[in-house]
Amino acid sequence: MIPLQISPFQYVANGVVFSSIIVLAAIGLSLVYSIADFANFAHGDLMTVGAFSALFSVGFLRPMLGDAGVFGLPLWFFLALAFGMGAAAVISVITDRVIYQPVKGSDSIGLLISSIGVALVYRALVFLSFGTEAERYGVPRQGPIPWVRESLGIAVTPRNLVVVTLTVVLVAALHLTLTRTTLGRKMRATADNADLARVSGIRTSEVILAMWLIGGALAAAGGVFLGLEELVRPRMGFDILLIVFAAVILGGIGSVYGAMLGGLVIGMVHELVPLFNQWGVIPVGSRYAAAVAFVIMVAILLVRPSGIAGESG
Amino acid sequence: MSPHDMDRRTLLKLSGLSLVGATAGCLEGEEEEEGTTAATTTAESGGGGGEETTTATEESGGSGSSYTIGMVDSLTGSLAPYGERNTRGRELGLAAVNEVGIGSEGASLNISVEDDESTNQGGVNGAQKLVNQDGVPLLIGSVGSGVSIAIHDSVTNDAGVVQISQNSTSPELTTRPELLRMSPSGAAKGQALAGLVSDDGHDTVAVTWINNDYGTGLSDVFAETFESELGGTVAYNEPHDQGQSSYSGILTEMASTDASAWIFLTYANEYTVMVNEGFDQGYNTSVDYYGAESTVADSIIENTPAGSMDGMKGITESAPQDQENYQNFVAAFEENYDATPTVWSAYAYDAVTVAALAIEAADEFTGEALSSVVRDVTRPEGEEVFNFEEAAAVLRDGGSPSDINYQGVSGPVDLDENGDPPGYYQIYNVEDHEYVFGDYITS
Repeated sequence: MIPLQISPFQYVANGVVFSSIIVLAAIGLSLVYSIADFANFAHGDLMTVGAFSALFSVGFLRPMLGDAGVFGLPLWFFLALAFGMGAAAVISVITDRVIYQPVKGSDSIGLLISSIGVALVYRALVFLSFGTEAERYGVPRQGPIPWVRESLGIAVTPRNLVVVTLTVVLVAALHLTLTRTTLGRKMRATADNADLARVSGIRTSEVILAMWLIGGALAAAGGVFLGLEELVRPRMGFDILLIVFAAVILGGIGSVYGAMLGGLVIGMVHELVPLFNQWGVIPVGSRYAAAVAFVIMVAILLVRPSGIAGESG
Repeated sequence: MSPHDMDRRTLLKLSGLSLVGATAGCLEGEEEEEGTTAATTTAESGGGGGEETTTATEESGGSGSSYTIGMVDSLTGSLAPYGERNTRGRELGLAAVNEVGIGSEGASLNISVEDDESTNQGGVNGAQKLVNQDGVPLLIGSVGSGVSIAIHDSVTNDAGVVQISQNSTSPELTTRPELLRMSPSGAAKGQALAGLVSDDGHDTVAVTWINNDYGTGLSDVFAETFESELGGTVAYNEPHDQGQSSYSGILTEMASTDASAWIFLTYANEYTVMVNEGFDQGYNTSVDYYGAESTVADSIIENTPAGSMDGMKGITESAPQDQENYQNFVAAFEENYDATPTVWSAYAYDAVTVAALAIEAADEFTGEALSSVVRDVTRPEGEEVFNFEEAAAVLRDGGSPSDINYQGVSGPVDLDENGDPPGYYQIYNVEDHEYVFGDYITS
């Protein structure tokens, strides 16, 4: 028996991976919160839809591309990721046109309740098309990268690295879009004050379209990464939705950068709970990880009631 | 920002949070449905609500040409899938008994069935009708442990009626010696698993269990047995919630103990995630994995990489597959219902057979007389008999109740002084990423 030595950095590494998934999911949720003005309870199941769309595409991509790989993962996985993001983006736009636009006349509660219905429909469609069992993409697991394990004493897998790297790329791309393009400026203006934006000549319908495309694609990326790390399950998105909501609320409702920060904090706290326990800072086991994450959310909100990056006042 | 705008945002937050709370409640509810008996043996489909269940009850006396006993079963409600399994087991058991007939005159056995709707109140109502109106001296019932206990405490115990629960597994039933059952107590499995781990030479172990009745009950018994009776140390004993997206925190906590064996008392999906994460972190080569019946599933093998759990061991409920009566039972079941029987049908079959044996062996058809012989016909002292026909032959040849030892289709039965059968389990291990089933053990 090799005695196991757990480095504190192992928890940090786990936390970074988990945070990546939460951040991707939180951004889309926050965009909808700020631009469309409602809490979208279908967002978790949108992740599931993205993950299963990617799974569907694996069926034809894998025979086409064989096992050629990049960054330690087969090439088909990256294309399946792109397919899943595209599919979820299109599905979220269609959902908006068919459901949310006609319901828009009612207040945010009406939209919120509708989104719960949409979530159930998404999940039912996944059940119908793929069954209720857990699936996986079939990306071979290689175990921890040996040299990282020997030099740093932590277990990191190639898929961990891919998840974190791609998350950074996607977040950076979103940042550039929001700050450097006209569309991004329009989105920020609409998020800030939709009426004022419309009076200034911004076509809000265009902004809403962009919002659903971006939000859907990022949710799907989060879903695919979650499926890659764990399993592709029909309830995967719903099960993680609570934590994503915590991240968005912690970050400051409606702030995209707040959502990123909130996702990072919630994801890290969630995975660092065992370490806090070892150090005696928070004497509870990791079964209470979600509870600790929520307590920290509440504590931060007590100091900053509108969230980390929320508008003050 | 206008005050009106502020209100809207507050409303958004509040509505969001309240619904988060509401959906969290939903989650809890869904978890509970998985029940205390993890469903690995679901070859049969559920359903089967509106079935016609009455059998002719022309007379309930003992002297005539038929004997009528009662059965409370969960034909509707959340335990209805078990009810369907029981119905099939009951029908097969009854057919086998009636082919031979009870007593020298070959009287037929009738079972009057009442639905408990999977609730305590339903069970008590049904049992009251059977005991007070129909006057049955023996009652088979029921599925849910709470239902069986309710029936015992408020109906059969006072009336002196023999009660045999067909499917209840709660350790609580052990505290009621007059409440017999065919399914072993859940406690037996925890004890057997602790014995297996200890026999393999592990003295320090880490246990993680799913946070519901099933996991709590099993881990309590395991830890108690492993520490008090076997002198080992449980270095880690913590639950995990169902349906989490990651369990790496749990695994790292387990890895930071000096346990040489990790025991996973959880369901298939959760275990799959843990095996994958354990493989990613390289734990699988450092410690030995152990599991119970719900960590055996084809989906686990399919969704984990080869080599990620080789050497894993565990115990699972098992039927005595090399026994001829079990093979006959399976053949009859497949022929009649076009499905593979589960252990829950086998328990119902054995409940009917044991009831018939008690009637055959007893001097008269009363609760008192049946109660005095019902354990004896299953005890190991006598000659092993594998079906009603063999048993009846020994008894009619002048044998006393303790001269026979019924070996059921679900296991050895052997009811002890608490009315519990021993657990009958098969050891499995994982070799080359496949389950290999080996020796049988009884608790």
